[in-house]
Order: sequence, then C-alpha cells, then structure tokens
Amino acid sequence: MSELTQRRFSTHVVNRLIEDAPSALVELSDDHRRSLSARFRATASLGHRRLDAWLVERAGRADHVFRWSPSSARRTLGNAALRRALVAPALTCLAAIDEEMDDQLARYLSGYARSGSLASYLASAPDAELGLVRSEAANWATQLAEIAQSIERPWQVAASDAYYDVARARTTLRGRRDLIVTRDDSRVLVRVRRGAPGSTAGPGLRSDLSIDAFAHPAGVSASRIVGVWPEAGVVLSVDGTMADLRAGARDLVRTAVVRQRSDLRLAA
Amino acid sequence: MSSLLDASPTSVMEVLRGERASRPSADSSSAASLRAVLEDSLLGVLGTATRTEPVTVRASSFRAPYSSGEGASALGSLRGILISQALRLLCARVEVTDVYRDALVAWRAEAGENYLSRYLAQLDAEDTARLRADVEAHWVTLRRSLGPLSHWWLPRTSLRAYQRLGAGRVILRDMVDLMVGTTASDAASVVLLDVTTAALDEGAERIMRYHALVQTLRTGTVPLRTSIFSTGTGQLWCSDVSGETLVRSAHEVVDVVRELA
Repeated sequence: MSELTQRRFSTHVVNRLIEDAPSALVELSDDHRRSLSARFRATASLGHRRLDAWLVERAGRADHVFRWSPSSARRTLGNAALRRALVAPALTCLAAIDEEMDDQLARYLSGYARSGSLASYLASAPDAELGLVRSEAANWATQLAEIAQSIERPWQVAASDAYYDVARARTTLRGRRDLIVTRDDSRVLVRVRRGAPGSTAGPGLRSDLSIDAFAHPAGVSASRIVGVWPEAGVVLSVDGTMADLRAGARDLVRTAVVRQRSDLRLAA
Repeated sequence: MSSLLDASPTSVMEVLRGERASRPSADSSSAASLRAVLEDSLLGVLGTATRTEPVTVRASSFRAPYSSGEGASALGSLRGILISQALRLLCARVEVTDVYRDALVAWRAEAGENYLSRYLAQLDAEDTARLRADVEAHWVTLRRSLGPLSHWWLPRTSLRAYQRLGAGRVILRDMVDLMVGTTASDAASVVLLDVTTAALDEGAERIMRYHALVQTLRTGTVPLRTSIFSTGTGQLWCSDVSGETLVRSAHEVVDVVRELA
C-alpha cells in the first residue's frame, strides 16, 4: 500500500518523520531496471526526452517553455551557496552566493557553458536582475539552512539531483533532492518546494523517490522522502516501499505516454 | 518593546533589532492553540456548508474599510511594487544608480507580463514622469532610513505565506517585505518589516498583527517583533509580538472573513 502522510510544518515534525522512516531497505534489481526500460521503449519518442516530478505533477502537460529567471535560478544557486557556506563558515549566505555566481560567470567566459544554461543567463542578465537573482537565492539558502539546522541526524546538501538514463529508451529521469539525511544504514531525502502542495504533490514526491532509487548504484531506495512547503507550512512524506517505488515508476511511464501523444498531435 | 516613531528614525534596522540580551525565549507552543481558536471561530462564521470558492484574506483586506485592495489606484500599486523591488536590491547590496529603471527591470524579470505591466506600457509621458519622481522620492526616504543590514541577520525579502483554514474554505495569503532572524534559535529573533508607500493608519496596525499571525501559523514559532515603515511619511510603527497580539489578529481575521463570506 502506498503511504503518503501530511503534517503541519515544525522542526519536531521533520525530525519525527526522519526517525519514524521504515528501517527495512528496499532494493531495485536488474529486472526492475529492464522492466522500466521496456516500458519506456514501448512509448517511442521523437527525440531524447527528459522527465521529472514537475511533469508528473502536471500530467505530462508542459504549459510553457522553461526559461531562466530569478525564481528558477534560486534553487541551483541557493543549494550550491549553502554547500559553500558549510565548508567555509566565515562566509555569509550572500557572499557564498556571490562566489557561486562568479564561478558560473567564469564558466561562461571560459566557453564551457552552453547557450540556455544558467551561466549564460547570468552573463546576459542586467545588474538589477542579477540583484534579484541574489535576493531569491539568499531567500532559498537561508530557508534551507533553517530547515537543515533543525535536523538532529547528520545531513548534507545534495551535491546534485539524481539523474538516471533509461537504457536504450532515449529517456533521462531527473529526481530533485535538496538534503540527504543519514540514519544508520539508510537515508532520508528532503525536498523543499515553493507555494502550497496541490493534489498531485504526492505523485511528484513518489517520482523523485523512484528516480533516486534507480540512480543509486546498488538500486537502494531512500527509506523516506520528506517534502517541505515552507510557504504553506506543510510537510508531506512518502515511504520508500516497493509499492511506492512501483507507483512512482508507473507515474513516470504514464507521463511519457501523455508526452508522446502530445508530440504526435503536434507533428500531425 | 513597542515603539511608535512618528519622526523618521535614524536607522529602522537598529530600532527593530533592539537589545540582543533582552530577547525572550522562542515561543513554539502558541501556534497550535492559536490555530484552534481560529478554526473554532471560523466554524462559527462559516458553519459546515461547503463553498465553491474559498474566502481569501490578504494584508490589504485589513485596510480600513475592509476591502480586497481593488480601491487602490494602479499608479499607487506600481509605486508600491517598485519600492518593494528597490528594497530587495538594497538588501542584496546592489548599487542602485537609477532606482526607477533598476526596480522596473527587477520587477519585469520576476513578474513578466501582467495587467499592471500593460497599464505601465500605456502610460503617457506625464504619468510616467510622475511615477518616476514618486518612486525616487520614496527611495530616498527608504535608503536613508533603513540603516545598516548585516548579512549575519539572515535577511530575506518578499517572503510569501499561504495558510488554509476551515477545511480549505479560508485561505490566508501574505507577503512580508523583509524578515530578519531565524526560527532555529532558542531565543526569539525573527523581526518582520512591511514597507508601504502609504501613510500609516489604523489599518496598518492590523496589517502588522496579521503578518505576525501568519508567520506564527506558517513556522510554528512566534516572531519577536512586527513593524511597518512608511516611505511616504518616514513613520515607523513597531510592536513586540505577544499572545494577546496574535489572538487579537485572529479575531480580526474572523471579522474580515465574516465581511467577505
């Protein structure tokens, strides 16, 4: 049975959700990977497709083309800045963001950044917009740090999101994760979201959890994923059970089917 | 500490931060009882009937008389938005050379196309010049009065909050212009600042209390202080947040819901 719980946000609640996470580890086998690949291959795609929880939550409908903006850049910059600030505690949040933005600009100037990347957006944005980018990233990093510092178990800011290339299916899955909390042999993922959770927030979290398990070298699932919506003061969590992993994978395949139909309609 | 400064303060941040040693312990137990008070009172107002559309309460609903903000002029709204963007740039330590242009660039990057940007685009030269002059005047007051803002105080700007009450039939929406301090410390340290371009009136007090209430419901921790600063008059109103403040605001929310339902 799939387990989705909803609680009001407080530091005690986040800690309790981490402590109460199921202790039994669930592992995905090669058979699971082959099965996922076969299902994605069955839904042919016109090009390489990228799927994530955001598309799952919108049932495969991409209403607008992604473009960088202060609010879409904040998570990438904010997480990276928090990682820097943890290594160098003398850095203020804003100084860490500045260093991260400088690195991005250096990458652009050295020619390593492709067009459409965060680095090229930052290089072309006017100063006032860059100021807003800093401001949004500072909001994000401070909020994430506040949540992280209240966690009693060891934690780290995720070095990157989880990416899984489905074999021979021209499909890349991206699972977002902001904090990884270590609990004995298992781990709990924490995802911070803006706004308020909608009715599809649970399937979104489940997809992130499944992608993280597929991306794990040994296929070991996190014991729980905790989604925090600080603006709404709400916390949702999904357990890393086999039923939830299967449901997450099914949602991703369904999203691919919807995308395929939409692509075919456009082509016709 | 509650202050009502009618003269422009030398440093808004200094007034708001106050004495570090005199801060009380963080109160993380009042939020639950406050929510219960609100839920009970809303049940009394709305009954058990379902609603097709939820009642949405915003800070603007507390301006006298109760309104959803439609009464405010579009030019006034634009001025408020641009000053709010200028505050964000100031807090991010951006060197602002032309406040009107920079705030406009920042706002467009964030909001994209909307009815206010279309309204702005069709303004004639005279109205545009008036808006620019207005924004510059408010900016001078803001920059002169805000005072030094250390980044160790964890400043966050334009923070949104969203709370569902009464089984989703009431939504409290809020946006605080500037918040400093953290809810993760043992002592209360969160200070909320609303920056308005209008003069302060009775409604401003209710708005201050509303910010504190929504922040308490959102984080589960009572903020230390709530305040409002007018760039129009240079007045700063600041009040410590107590249980009484929050209960009073809860009753004001119920009054607004009764009015809007």
